[in-house]
Amino acid sequence: MNRELVKDLFLSLLIVLSQLLIFNHINLFGTVSTFIYVSLFILYKTTYDKTYLILFGFIVGLIIDLSLQTYGAHTLASITVCYLKERIEKYSFGVNSTLPLAMIRGTQQTNRVTYFFLIIFLHSLIYFSLIFFKFEFALTIFLFTLINSIINFIIIWIISMLIFDK
Amino acid sequence: MQSIINSIIKNRNLIIYLFLSFVTFNYLYNNSSVHYSGLGKIGTFISGSTSSIYSYINSYFNLIQENNKLVQENLELKKYESQIIYKSDTIDISESKTDKIISAKVILNSINKSKNIIVINKGEMDGITKEMGVISSKGVVGIIKNITDNYSSIVSLLNTDLKINAILKNSSTIGSISWNGLDPRIVQLNDIPLSSSVKIGDTIVTGGMSFYFTKGIPIGRIEDYNNTSLEGYYSIDVSIFSDFSSLSNLYILQRTDNEEIKSLLNE
Repeated sequence: MNRELVKDLFLSLLIVLSQLLIFNHINLFGTVSTFIYVSLFILYKTTYDKTYLILFGFIVGLIIDLSLQTYGAHTLASITVCYLKERIEKYSFGVNSTLPLAMIRGTQQTNRVTYFFLIIFLHSLIYFSLIFFKFEFALTIFLFTLINSIINFIIIWIISMLIFDK
Repeated sequence: MQSIINSIIKNRNLIIYLFLSFVTFNYLYNNSSVHYSGLGKIGTFISGSTSSIYSYINSYFNLIQENNKLVQENLELKKYESQIIYKSDTIDISESKTDKIISAKVILNSINKSKNIIVINKGEMDGITKEMGVISSKGVVGIIKNITDNYSSIVSLLNTDLKINAILKNSSTIGSISWNGLDPRIVQLNDIPLSSSVKIGDTIVTGGMSFYFTKGIPIGRIEDYNNTSLEGYYSIDVSIFSDFSSLSNLYILQRTDNEEIKSLLNE
């Protein structure tokens, strides 16, 4: 159990460092920012305590915000996603939401895609809404959210496959 | 107490989430000028909306005071208006000075009789005497007839016994206003010779040649006229400015030179 926790913490640290050192500096086509740290919330096991997840989301979001000078946009998006994760799990997996790694195995692929995409989309929506923060930019917010969600979905999906297929 | 603690434990995720959201918003608000201005706008909108609702509700409780304030304000304006009329037209020998205006509220009114009377809540104790002119914010209403200590009755313009000196504002042709007892919105302007030019829409004002009203107080507008009379005078219908069906606040005019003129006439 302890070994598993250490492994998870190490993995989390690795992902956060990758975000800070590599992915924070990647900006595709001037519109797509890569937020692979969202994978931490996606891959957080369903059996773990959700309260810790919210606190974890707050710390990770704050670190990213401090590094990117985004003044809390990542933090708010992260804690919202963490808070709503349980509901998204239930919506996506139904009765299988009690499986610890329902997002990886034991559930249908379409359910997993829904789960991944919902979390990434929600995170992007909150993030870009806070970044633009004006009703006039509603269409821009939606377009940025959609494009970023698709790209981030692909990246995070690949990362999760790499981590768990090994 | 135990149930409160249980409830907090049960909803701890929501409480933590709300607390952290508050912390984050505070961080955003204090560090980002965009969010500072955006959240400031939302704050202004919320406080503005709630204040306007409060003000809207509160205004209903202050209507009586507001109304009294407006009456007082109107009174001051009427005084000012009468002074201007006096100063700007001193060569007119009929002109006289109104130096006192008393406001009053209508407590009884009728428009469906041939001899309509209005009763107001001011009387001798308030300085009202017989034969003072009475106007509303829109124009002439009538003349004080009887007074008691606290009340007065007014012979309304809608009283077939009343005749008021009037002129055509444009040409200063003198006539007299009276009511035929039919339509409470229409009075008749008499004694205007056919030689005068009359147009529909011309304004009729008081002529000032009476003890009741100074010159220039609005009465009404020409609604219709007939020039086929064999007597050599127009038959003119005048639509009155004051709405007698909804009179509320009236102003009583006191001319200070009445006694002097009367004594002159009696010599």
